[in-house]
Order: sequence, then structure tokens, then C-alpha cells
Amino acid sequence: MGNRSHRGGIILFLTPVAVLYALFFLYPLGYVFTVSLVDWNGVTAMQFVGLKNYLELLQRSVFRLSVRNNLIWALSLGAGQVGLAVLVALILARRPAGWRLLRTIYFLPNVISQVALAMMWLAIYNAEYGILNAALELMGWGAYARNWLGEIDSALPAIILQQLLYIGYFMIIILAATLSISETFYEAAQIDGADVWQQERHITLPIIRPIVITAATLAMAFGLRHFEATFLMTNGGPANSTSVLGIMLYKTVSALNYGRANAVAVTLIVLGTLLIVAVRRLGREDRAAEERQ
Amino acid sequence: MCDPERAAGGAGRSAGPAVVGGGPVTPQQWLARGAKWVVLALFLAVTFLPLLWLVISSFKTNLELLTNAFSLPAVWQLGNYANAIRVAGLPRLFVNSLIVSSLSMALNLVFCSMAGFVLAREWFRGRELVLNLIVAGVLVPVIALMVPYFRLITVTGLYDSLFGLALTYAAINVPVSVFLLHGFMRGVPRELEEAAVIDGCGFAGRYARIMVPLSQVGLVTAGTFVFLFSWNEFIYALLLTSSVAARTLQLGIRFFVSQFFTDYTSMFAAITLAIIPSILVYVLLHERIIRGLTAGAVKG
Repeated sequence: MGNRSHRGGIILFLTPVAVLYALFFLYPLGYVFTVSLVDWNGVTAMQFVGLKNYLELLQRSVFRLSVRNNLIWALSLGAGQVGLAVLVALILARRPAGWRLLRTIYFLPNVISQVALAMMWLAIYNAEYGILNAALELMGWGAYARNWLGEIDSALPAIILQQLLYIGYFMIIILAATLSISETFYEAAQIDGADVWQQERHITLPIIRPIVITAATLAMAFGLRHFEATFLMTNGGPANSTSVLGIMLYKTVSALNYGRANAVAVTLIVLGTLLIVAVRRLGREDRAAEERQ
Repeated sequence: MCDPERAAGGAGRSAGPAVVGGGPVTPQQWLARGAKWVVLALFLAVTFLPLLWLVISSFKTNLELLTNAFSLPAVWQLGNYANAIRVAGLPRLFVNSLIVSSLSMALNLVFCSMAGFVLAREWFRGRELVLNLIVAGVLVPVIALMVPYFRLITVTGLYDSLFGLALTYAAINVPVSVFLLHGFMRGVPRELEEAAVIDGCGFAGRYARIMVPLSQVGLVTAGTFVFLFSWNEFIYALLLTSSVAARTLQLGIRFFVSQFFTDYTSMFAAITLAIIPSILVYVLLHERIIRGLTAGAVKG
């Protein structure tokens, strides 16, 4: 359609999205980096303080704990959740009876809000009426019953686990990639006498690796952005042992310490970017090594 | 594009591990087959049992909940649901969430279909750059933008309003929707547009009469994602609203613990009611949702 110019139309049609993108992506990103360098409560005048907000953050144990917990979240989801998703996807890709239905069911929790799921798990972990302690007692393991979210040792693993087990999203993506592999590869491998394990190892896994790396990247990004379940289940406690950067950011914003809040935000953005770059590079080097063989 | 599920046919992998070698089933194969079903059953249990416990408990008395965790209710307490609706003010929360989700979906689809059309069908200098820049927005952790969003919404006088929330949700979903709609519209055959031009359709006519009707599937997919995102969003509802008048369902759930205090089973009823709409949408649209996800995956 390029034979007549529609300059006015093009500009008109792009304007709404351009305005929204500028207001909700470009401007906020610039704002976060800039305001992280000032001292400001939102009312009085801003005062430029350089890196002071960042230096103060480093001295706070809740910040160090939050970064540590975010990294634990990112690794648990990136390796654990995606690993389980790969396992289930490979099983379903061989089309056992009812695989379509199972695929649909496994994804179901992903359409339920994290808030509602967190409330449900809050009840499951409850020390008084929770089903987890009741189940342990029923099986004669009553000694292991505890206040799961109230104790430092178990709170973080308990919150991570309730999210890690919902593999639906990554399983769907990985399953789609696996199903699109041509059957002829497997037929040829069977004629050559390769068993199921060999087929998965030498055909499926190499082919789906880019999508698995993408899934791991996404999962780690979700781990860094985590907020809801922790906010509702422990709000970072006990003793900040489950705090993450999102929770710390919200608390700092609520305390009207905008400069420091944005320093937390910048940490989150930089950490996320570094993780993505690292995982991508890891994937690329892996593949390069394979090609050299 | 071919459908990978159908293309696979009946040969090769689909026959399952037992067929390999064609001979009798060895103990290892029995073990592998058993392990396979254990994994599948385990995830089925993880998905269903907590929900099942929640729903069954929501029909019990509080005494039953505390004394016998595994029993069915002696009498199914429908009164818990009446309590839930009244104490939590659920009707108001539902209506607010419905308004925010529908409005954000409408804004997002109108704006992103316009941009998607131009980016898919018109050539101009810097087009690829604009497209890549917008789509790269999916990498931005929007949770980190709490302070600027709060300032932006406050300064524009949209704080504590359903419209402010809807606008924020529409904007956050711009990268995903532009990606999906641009991809979809690029696949619409050009001949149809050319025929429309010969029949006298102008720039706006090509968009409204040809591209939008032919992109219905893409619009439904993108719309479902925006709607579900808005329905489930919590963080910015928490940050950008304060009064009951602008409270969405997800934010309302936060207050259940203090509202119901020790009436746990009524609280379970309220949580159950809050989950039902998402499950209904999924039952109706799961094919489309899964297809939308896989479309993104196959394109990388």
C-alpha cells in the first residue's frame, strides 16, 4: 500500500500508543534513575545527594536480605520450576491418554490471581486449622507440624514452594516447542535403535533448548518481580527473613522516602538486566561449544 | 501455519515408550511408565487438592474446620456464602473489577490495534525501531516503577479512581498487545486490502472495514490477556487507590483476614467466590488462551 503517502494517518494512529508508552515506560524509567540520586519526601524540594541513597541501602540488613531472597527466588523458579515444567512437557509430548486435558488442567492455577492463591495457601500453612499440619499428624509425622509461615527456617521455602509447583505457564510454552519437532527425527532414531531416553537427550533437548532458556529467563524475571504472595502471607517477616526488593520498595514508598525507594527500584532493574544478559550469554556459549564438537 | 498437534499424526513418538523395540515390556519400561504416571498424578494433586479443600471447607462450620480437617461437612453450610457476600461487600468489588478490566481491555485494544495496523501495513522510516522499542517494554519490571506511576496518577488527578487504574493497566499491556496484534495483522492477506482500496476504501477504511474484522481472533487473544491481567492485578490497585469506592476484587481479598476475623469458613467462601470468575473465563476460553501463549512461544 506504499504507493500513496498516509503520513497524517500514520501519525494519528501511532499517537495514542506513543503517548502511553512515553508516559508509562520511557518517562518512569528516566524518573527512577534520576530521583534515586536525590533526597525527597514528595513535598519539600528535592536535594541532590549523589550515591548516598545507594550507600545507605548497602548498610541496611533488610536490603541485603531482600537481594539474597530475590536471588533465591530467581534460582528456584529459573531452575526448579522450569526444570519440572520441562519434565512434564516431555511426558505430555508423548501424548499419553488424556494429555490434552492434563495440559489444560495444569495451566488452570495460572489464570487465578496470585492474591487468591496466596490466601488459600495462607490457610493451608495455618498453624491452627491448616490442612498441612493436619495431614502430617494423620500420617504420624505430627512432630514435623509447625507454624510454617511464622518461623524463620520455613517461611521463605513455604512461600516459594506454593508458587514453584504451578508449572502451567512454562509447561505450555515448552510443550508447544516440543510438539512442533518433526516426527521424522524420532522415526529415524527408532530405526537406529535409540531408546526413549536417548531420543529425548539427543533430539528433543537440543532442539528445545532456546525455548527452555527463554523460559528460564522469564522465570528468573518473575522471581525478581515477586510481590503478592509474600505481601499477603508474611509481609516480609518474620524478622525480614522473607523480604524481597518489591516488598522493601513498597514499604519505602509508603514511608515517603522517594529517593531511597527509587534506589531500590534501580537495583531491581539492574539486577534483572544482569540476570537476563548472563542467562542469554550462558545459552549462547553452550551452543557455541556444541557446534565446535 | 500448520498445527503442530495435528501434524504429529499417529507415528513415532505418539505411540509411547512401550512400542520401542516392539518386543515384550521390560521391567525398566514398566518402571518408566509408572514414574511417568506418578509425576502426572502428583501435579494433578497439587493443582486440585488445595482448591478442593478450600471449597469443601467453605461449606463447614468453624468448629468442624478446627476439629476434623478431612471430613465432609455434616450439614452443608450455605449460610457461609451469604455471610461472605455481605461481610466482604463482594458485589461492589466484582462490579469495580469488571469496570476496570473491561475499560482497560477496550482502551488497550483500540489503541494497540491502530498501532499494530500501521506497524504491520505502512512503511515509514524508523518503523522497525518503533516496533522493537515498544515490544522491548515487556522486559521492564513495572513493579520497579511504583514512584513514577504514583506521581503520574496523582498529578493527573486520577488517584483513587477506576479510570486511573484502567489507564495504567491498558498502558502496562501495550508491549504484549502490540506484539500479538502486529504479528496477527501482518498475516492478513494483502489482496483483501488491495481490493478494498480499488473499491474506494481510504486509510481509515482499510483499518476499520478490513483489518479489524479480519483480526478478530488476534483481538480476542490479546483482549483475553489484558482482561485477565487487569482482573488479577494487585500491586497497582494497592498503590493507586485508597477508598472502598475504587476497591477492586483483588484488593478486597487483602482485607478478608481482618474482616472475617475468626469466621474462617466464611472467608473461604469469599475466596471461592473470588476465584470462580477466573475459572469460568478459563473454561470458556482455554483453547484461545493456550493457543495465544504458544503463538508467542513458536515465534520466539
